[in-house]
Amino acid sequence: MTGIIDFIIKLIIWPPLFQLVLLPGLVTALVVVIFIIWFERKTAARVQMRIGPYHISPRLGGFLQLIADLTRYAFQEIIVPRTVDRAVFIGAPLTALVLSVVPVVAMPMTDIPRYFPIPMDYSLIISMGLTTLSPIFIVAAAWASNNKFALIGGMREAFVITAYELIFIISGLSAGLAVLSYNIVDIVEAQAPFYKWILFTNPIAALAMYASILMSTSGFPFEIPEAENEIVAGAFTEYSGLMYGVNMGSAYIKRFVYTLLFSLLFLGGWAPYTPQPGFIAGYLIPAVIVVVKATIVMATISFLRAVYGRLRIDQALDGAWRIFIPIALAGLLLALLEAYMGVYA
Amino acid sequence: MSASPALKDEIKLPGMDLKKIGKDLYEVFIGPQHPGSGHMRIIIRVDGDVIVEADPDLGYVHRTMEKLAEGREFIKVIPLMERMAILDACNITLPYVEAVEKLMDIEPPPRAKYLRVLLCEINRIASHLYGMGIFGVFLGHSTMYMWPFGDREVFVELAEKLTGARLTHTYAVPGGVRRDIPQGFREMAEKAARYMEKKLEDYKRIFLDNPAIQKRLVDVGVISKNLAAKLGIVGPNLRASGIRYDVRIIEPYEAYDEIDFEVPIYEEGDAYARAWIRVMEIKQSLNIIRQVLEKMPQGDPLHEKFWAKAPKLYKTVYETTGRAKLIPLYANLKVPAGRAIARAEAGRGEVIYVVESENKTKPYRVRVVSPSFRNAIVFKYIVPGHRIADLPAIYGSIDYFPPEADR
Repeated sequence: MTGIIDFIIKLIIWPPLFQLVLLPGLVTALVVVIFIIWFERKTAARVQMRIGPYHISPRLGGFLQLIADLTRYAFQEIIVPRTVDRAVFIGAPLTALVLSVVPVVAMPMTDIPRYFPIPMDYSLIISMGLTTLSPIFIVAAAWASNNKFALIGGMREAFVITAYELIFIISGLSAGLAVLSYNIVDIVEAQAPFYKWILFTNPIAALAMYASILMSTSGFPFEIPEAENEIVAGAFTEYSGLMYGVNMGSAYIKRFVYTLLFSLLFLGGWAPYTPQPGFIAGYLIPAVIVVVKATIVMATISFLRAVYGRLRIDQALDGAWRIFIPIALAGLLLALLEAYMGVYA
Repeated sequence: MSASPALKDEIKLPGMDLKKIGKDLYEVFIGPQHPGSGHMRIIIRVDGDVIVEADPDLGYVHRTMEKLAEGREFIKVIPLMERMAILDACNITLPYVEAVEKLMDIEPPPRAKYLRVLLCEINRIASHLYGMGIFGVFLGHSTMYMWPFGDREVFVELAEKLTGARLTHTYAVPGGVRRDIPQGFREMAEKAARYMEKKLEDYKRIFLDNPAIQKRLVDVGVISKNLAAKLGIVGPNLRASGIRYDVRIIEPYEAYDEIDFEVPIYEEGDAYARAWIRVMEIKQSLNIIRQVLEKMPQGDPLHEKFWAKAPKLYKTVYETTGRAKLIPLYANLKVPAGRAIARAEAGRGEVIYVVESENKTKPYRVRVVSPSFRNAIVFKYIVPGHRIADLPAIYGSIDYFPPEADR
């Protein structure tokens, strides 16, 4: 009996599983997403002379409204239209959900190798590579929906993917270039003093990466692939009930994973704190610091909803190729210069 | 992707034409069940992302108002016609009241004229705010959706204070208005005007000067001066194309000839100009409201002819409380035979009524030409050549209101 309990505890604390499922994986992502949606609703409401959802749990400021919404989604009928490609229609969103959280396995949350899921020297490249997996499944889901609006939304998604990925990778690599390492642990440790955060030493690359996160996760003003007033719900038009919730959830989880990477690369990761031996001091606290930083970045993205309208797809692509790729390249150049001058040596 | 040939044969319905569309074109139905369409349908055919053809398809909220009006007493037609544009209730029914007055050969007292102008301008502001809110949400700008909708409440309440009803006021009745200005209204109106002026600056900062919005609107959906004249566009859309046409100026009705105001004109004719013109018109309307409250003459808000036939109690109640009940005479108002036409500038443009009477208590015919109906045709001509994403921008900028067009 004790053997089984020991096995379960060991399994839970086994780093790959723990990181993927608990912290900062699915469970943390879900909590953060619920907080962010609440925050988004409340800040937008504050800007817009409203109070936002309040009826459920007025003492918590309507925080439990999200749980209620989630329950509603869970019990709603999942309608699978007769004309869709069933396997892809159901499989693609689920795959996208899983793949959107996968990059976390390559993101160290501490500098103690014992708690790494997979210790490696190229974690920056691997994690960025893994982020590029999930978007294709949204396009697949759109294609399988056999709906005109979904098709248009899927095409928009495809265009946006090709536009942002280059910016994302160039600006991410410039963080590695400045430190002369592809290991995220090295990048974070180089940023230990506050003034050495890459956000301050290379704000150009940080701006480019922020913009690419906005673009990749449909943040305003780039909320184009699922523009409600133009194409209903874009790629997710035919989805209902929990399947729609899965789609929305994977979009938010994707944003969370991107911002995790952003806070590791540009905001010093677990910076003011130095991990100590032991599970709590060595893993839990630094991981929570990174998650909090990522949540703050997500909150700024949410706030933009109240400020901006939606750009047109051609304008967004134009901005991506003509403005942000040069900006990202300029960030790369600056990183090169810093590496040459030995700022992080 | 398309239906199988067998299915195509099945759906052949009598009287239903199948239209062939060009090769490589994709037909998308925007509406009537679409978050960005309202109660209408725009059938667009796209080549990639660019719209090649657009067909506005109206009539989804047709309520046979003109026919219904033939079965109702003259006074009951007003609440019916208000349903065309409930935010614009006074403007949209005023020409009907004027036409009936022409038939009866009575002139409303000067105070009533000013009161009508007052409510018309309050309605115009509310109507423009509604349009701007819809415009905002069409561009994905949720703040611009919430702000005008919240601020509209100020003017809805102002109208409620004046008339007793939030939306369908039935304020202007043949021979005058239903009731006089209540106590404390002037202060409330002044406060509302000051508040609105402050908020218009906020709108400018967050919406009109927003780079993302400017990118979406400038040079989008341009209606040239020529095209606007040819299609017979009316209202703010026409004036945004540089044509100075406003019934309040061309053919002043009620007290508009005694009031000093400007009609804003923009030359560009694009969606951005149409967004601006509403803001400027709200400013002018606030100006008019202030002037009306200043210049309004004393006197009775209802024609003597109606008072003469009213029970005595009504007059006493009116003199002590300032509130008039609708005089029983209206229930069976007999209008002399004839045909009269009247027009007014509603929030969305010129509205025209032709009323024909046969010396009975019910009209023989009431014909309405509403501004949105005249503006609907514009979709067919200016949408092609734009991208799908521009359709909501154009739709919102036109401020097209399906219930008003369909009647």
